[in-house]
Amino acid sequence: MVDKQTLETSSTYTPQTIKAIQQRAELGRYLIRGYGAFRNVPRFDDLVFLTASLTRFPLEGYREKCLTKTVLGTRYAKRPVELEIPITIAGMSFGALSHNAKVSLGRAATLVGTSTTTGDGGMLPAEREASAKLVYQCLPSRYGFNVRDLKQADAIEIVVGQGAKPGGGGLLLGQKVSKVVAGMRTLPEGIDQRSPCRHPDWVGADDLKIKIEELREATDWQIPIYVKMGATRVKDDVKLAVKAGADVVVLDGMEGGTAATQSIFQENTGIPTLPALVQAVEALKELNVYGKVQLVISGGIRTGPDVAKALALGADAVSLGTATLIAMGCNKPVYLEDYHKLGTEPYHCHHCHTGMCPVGITTQDEELMQRLPVEQGTTLVANYLQSIMMEVQSLARACGKSDVHNLEREDLVAMTLEASAMAKLPLAGTDFVMG
Amino acid sequence: MQQPTVLKETVIDCEGLSTQEINQRVKALAAEGIERVKLLNPAGKHNLAVGIVEPIEIEIIGSAGYYCGGLSSGLNLEVLGNCSWSLGENLMDGQIIVRGNASANAGATASGGRISILGNAGARAGISLKGGTLIVAGNVGYGSAFMMQQGRIVICGDAGDNLADSIYEGAIYVGGNIASLGADAKLEPMTAQDWQFLETELNSLEINFAEYDFKKIVSAKELHHFKAQDWFKFKDAY
Repeated sequence: MVDKQTLETSSTYTPQTIKAIQQRAELGRYLIRGYGAFRNVPRFDDLVFLTASLTRFPLEGYREKCLTKTVLGTRYAKRPVELEIPITIAGMSFGALSHNAKVSLGRAATLVGTSTTTGDGGMLPAEREASAKLVYQCLPSRYGFNVRDLKQADAIEIVVGQGAKPGGGGLLLGQKVSKVVAGMRTLPEGIDQRSPCRHPDWVGADDLKIKIEELREATDWQIPIYVKMGATRVKDDVKLAVKAGADVVVLDGMEGGTAATQSIFQENTGIPTLPALVQAVEALKELNVYGKVQLVISGGIRTGPDVAKALALGADAVSLGTATLIAMGCNKPVYLEDYHKLGTEPYHCHHCHTGMCPVGITTQDEELMQRLPVEQGTTLVANYLQSIMMEVQSLARACGKSDVHNLEREDLVAMTLEASAMAKLPLAGTDFVMG
Repeated sequence: MQQPTVLKETVIDCEGLSTQEINQRVKALAAEGIERVKLLNPAGKHNLAVGIVEPIEIEIIGSAGYYCGGLSSGLNLEVLGNCSWSLGENLMDGQIIVRGNASANAGATASGGRISILGNAGARAGISLKGGTLIVAGNVGYGSAFMMQQGRIVICGDAGDNLADSIYEGAIYVGGNIASLGADAKLEPMTAQDWQFLETELNSLEINFAEYDFKKIVSAKELHHFKAQDWFKFKDAY
């Protein structure tokens, strides 16, 4: 009998590390998984609000007005994107997600008055129909990208990178490249699709300026152009995007999810959402365009407090991806036998890349897809967005704000030294700002 | 007796006009029923004839900058000069003829139509091509046809290093020398249909296909799936 209390565990060769080495030894390649960084990083949880007392007066929680309207793309576009709430739905492809998941997101976004975003696979007609406001992504692969869909878009998002894999290209393994998905992407059915990491028609920021002008010419300067980046050298990247002519900068921290990438990217590249946001705001202020170029932040945002803190730190809006899938049922403890087939359990599943999503969200399998009826997906996502907006308004009112966009840095303090350093906020109960 | 067709045509002098003004005038003329427009003094402006989905013939007298004819569908464009980066980017259908040279990324991501360059093209010609035909009467630079997905590329002259790296499908015909092929590209014997295609396409440009010793390059399709034993092919890729 082994006495487990006396077992020693290496901090270098942890059980997970041993398993990962042995998996590589068997596969002969890197490991692939969905979701974003699993490592613990300083996050919005490490900040708290200094709500009103005598120095500030709160607003009545359920009675007094607290506005949520959000406008994106006011710099050059004739038709900025007007949203009811400062939360948008992030780009996730049809291919990575099932048809029903995409349509559910579109309908839910429409119900709560916000936008949803296409992904690395073109514009699904049903998604366009479901979404009152649809942001059309222009990605390095240009799968399915065309001028006709472009002219139907409410905004364009040029994707330079994403938080889960900044500097890396997309990945869709063969089991998800169904006939329909392959057709939309002009690819052979069933291949392991590896998307390029750089755009094919432009290289640096000087080229990007001309690319943005091309997209504006093709859309008669009507709709905004967002530039989305994974958070790495944030200050310089944001400044270059602004100088290239972006209406909106979308910045995705390392907690940002994906349906598939090499796990080394998720854990070892990019910086967390919290410091990325702070640096982006500084960059916009240094260029004197804060408020003129809107900032959307994403990556691991899950709750009303996360959203409220992002707004207080200077974001104009946040974008949610993974959290909306969880609202639809990702990792829900149902269909346990199908989680087990993937070698995982509910609450631990990150097997989007396999295409065998037990709850029918990240799959192209006809049978699995039926597990997510559109009506159900729509209601769950709409309810979730509504609930976190109620939380945002509650916090804003408690801080005495009649508009969620009036939340400010002064409303926050940090609970840890790391968060203090990254958010450049005082440690709670002190005047000390780390760094 | 049938009356000869007379095209309704006009001229835009680009001098002093912004790109936006030029493109807006072209679109407005098309809406008025004008069938052909000449752009004078283009002065290498970027984004000329971009986003055109109207049925109008455009002739550019001089050289154009980046993205000439980009993001268009049903375009009929002729350039009597040279073009800079990303000529005809994302073209869906229609025709572009460039009488001079084109710089990098000519025909990038085009999914249909025909782009003909009567001079040389720079690096990455036909990158991510998704359909249609790209013809270069002269040479192309390195990395051409990179990650091409479908369609056909005809290069009468020489091709630079790493031609057709990681192509998925489609065919490339090279009349001159190939510096090197990229990962997962291979030579395949020419068929009668290939020669017929070349004859038809090149005759229309008054190029004698029989003067060239065309070779055909296609995807070897060995890297379409992750396989551990293919590691060296990825490792040594250009």
